[in-house]
Amino acid sequence: MSMMKREVAWRIFADELNNSTLETRGEDERAPTYIVSPLGAKVNRVYAVGVLTEVDNRGTPEEPLWQGRVSDPTGTFFISAGRYQPEAATSLSNIDPPKFVAVVGKTSTYRPDDETVLISIRAELVKEVNDEQRDLWILEAAKSLKTRLEAMAEASRMEDVSVQELIDLGYDPTLADGIKAASEHYQTYPLDRYWSIMKDALRYVLPEYEEPTVMDTADEGLDEELMERVLEVVQELEEETEEVGVSYEQVRDIVVEREDITMTEFEELVSKLRLHGKLMEPALGQIQSAY
Amino acid sequence: MNEKELAPHIEDINRALKEKVSSEQIEEELQKFRDEYRISLGDAKRAIVKKFGGDPQDLFLNPEKKINEIRGDERSLDIKARIIAIQDKEIELDGQPKTIFYGIFGDDTGTIPFTLWESKSVDIEKGDTVHVKNAYANTWNDQPQVNIGSMAGIGILDDDEVPPFERDPQVCDIKDIREGMRNLMVTGRILTMEKKVVQTDSGEKDLFSGVLADESGKIQFSAWHDFQLEPEQVIKLVGGYVRSWRGIPQLNFDENSEVEIIDDQELPSADTLQDSSTMTISHLARRGGAVDAIVDAVVIDIKTGSGLIFRCPECNRVVQKGACRIHGKVDGEADLRVKGILDDGTGALTMIMTRELTENILGYDLDKAKELARDRMDQDVIKDELEELLIAQPLRVRGNVTSDEYGLMLVASDVKFKKIDVEEEARKLLDEVSV
Repeated sequence: MSMMKREVAWRIFADELNNSTLETRGEDERAPTYIVSPLGAKVNRVYAVGVLTEVDNRGTPEEPLWQGRVSDPTGTFFISAGRYQPEAATSLSNIDPPKFVAVVGKTSTYRPDDETVLISIRAELVKEVNDEQRDLWILEAAKSLKTRLEAMAEASRMEDVSVQELIDLGYDPTLADGIKAASEHYQTYPLDRYWSIMKDALRYVLPEYEEPTVMDTADEGLDEELMERVLEVVQELEEETEEVGVSYEQVRDIVVEREDITMTEFEELVSKLRLHGKLMEPALGQIQSAY
Repeated sequence: MNEKELAPHIEDINRALKEKVSSEQIEEELQKFRDEYRISLGDAKRAIVKKFGGDPQDLFLNPEKKINEIRGDERSLDIKARIIAIQDKEIELDGQPKTIFYGIFGDDTGTIPFTLWESKSVDIEKGDTVHVKNAYANTWNDQPQVNIGSMAGIGILDDDEVPPFERDPQVCDIKDIREGMRNLMVTGRILTMEKKVVQTDSGEKDLFSGVLADESGKIQFSAWHDFQLEPEQVIKLVGGYVRSWRGIPQLNFDENSEVEIIDDQELPSADTLQDSSTMTISHLARRGGAVDAIVDAVVIDIKTGSGLIFRCPECNRVVQKGACRIHGKVDGEADLRVKGILDDGTGALTMIMTRELTENILGYDLDKAKELARDRMDQDVIKDELEELLIAQPLRVRGNVTSDEYGLMLVASDVKFKKIDVEEEARKLLDEVSV
């Protein structure tokens, strides 16, 4: 007789969650599914606080499906609430963005192709909060990330990643499990990247923090050119399919191939284009050029 | 089949034949049935037992297990063990009161909690050495335990049938104490203590119970012997054992334990210990519960049945739509409470706040709450307001934490909004990781 345990709500930055591509499920038939992040967070439920920037009804007036985007300092959470999340749906429909919101929900995945996993949060609760609560969440998420980074660093030094050894080092059994699964699946330890994400996020809550401006990077000229390339590909595909809105992955694969850039660089280009208002993401996994 | 694979089956046959036939002979027979006649293993075993005049039923006798071999999924189990602790408990089963016993078994390999569900025909007490047949095992909080149901039998053995458990006492921080542990060495300061007179099988007994703390946590204790204990004393205990009540581990010791009152200036005062020792919810879950725990967490859900509620005057159950589940339509008595989910990022638990704490959070009393609900003609306005006040706010909550099949529950004795200087903590963290 094992306990019917309520799943913990992970404080995890959007970047780490969205870069997860591993799903696991317990042996028991009723066992929940988890998304395992590149740093071993075994996530079924998420608690996130950020800025709600967009809300749309993607269902019908009779049966609404509310979708929203919530930004944290590292990226965007895609959230949704429909008929099975009536309270969250009501809250979402009543909030006029931009607003600080707290979201609790279960992760859900969508696989448009073999390599891509798009992650969204089916919201159980959406509540308007203030900037203090947002800053507090960033602090909690950074602490949680730090624990995973430290555990990952330990794992990276082990010849064979051992759950028991991690537990003996004082890490939570659930995390130890996740770390092992992540190290097997992702085959890399993206420690540097996430240490810098963590530090950037912490700086974000300090009063002296200044938003890095979009235009002040040294290689902006190059970016300008690449951004144009991305737009061209989007428009090509739109003409080809005669549809507004094309698959994010399709665009990514073409640009990455043609311009010989990394996926992360591509993501940055897209987010800059969005900031400039030249691209829109009408739905999760879709981009569209803004005429 | 090789020798190694056959070994357990030979053992089974041996047991059924009460060792009257040599293992070599059995092995030979078994090989013959298997290799020459291609008889299935089960049929072969039956045939051999019959051939040598045994009863094939005896093949199903359970191999005896040592306590440290019990995994927690045995459907049938025989053990020989000593009763280290036993206590009765009144429960309600299908509306009928019933007495069950629970306690700890020990042998030379370890200890295990047990529950005795049928008490009528058994007369056992602490210190007895017993042979339990046809019990079963399951797990609770990932810990195996033995269940003695109606199909099981218990017999009393001579004391020397089970060798004593001999191991150096296990040094343990209070927060790491778990159900079923024994022979512990614990050092802590007594925070509170009272003397009670309790009825036991062997007559009236003095019981000294209270709360013991070190810097890691607190635990309830029961001393079954007068060690001249007093609050504020620091004691070093050797030979304690642990049993749990609804997941809360309790430290027991008696005349077989050694208690030394020591002068320890290092350990903070009782007042300081009382208020320190926060625990993560993950740790509480692994431990099963705790007395007077302090948890820093955020409320992420307020459940229905929170806010202004009505209770049945007969049984105190919460009345839904004017009707009690047991007593039907009743004139419910108004009350305030919060039933919420508290989550700290390591785990989640259900938190109950009673009327007084709920009034503190709301800033008004029950009468005012009733008035507000009446004005708006909606009982839920109070729950809505509690959601507004509590959700996503950092809290420091204090109370006893118990566990059952639905997980952990904390009944709050105190709830405070926690002030956190995010800027300072962020700087500290940045400094720490920039080294």
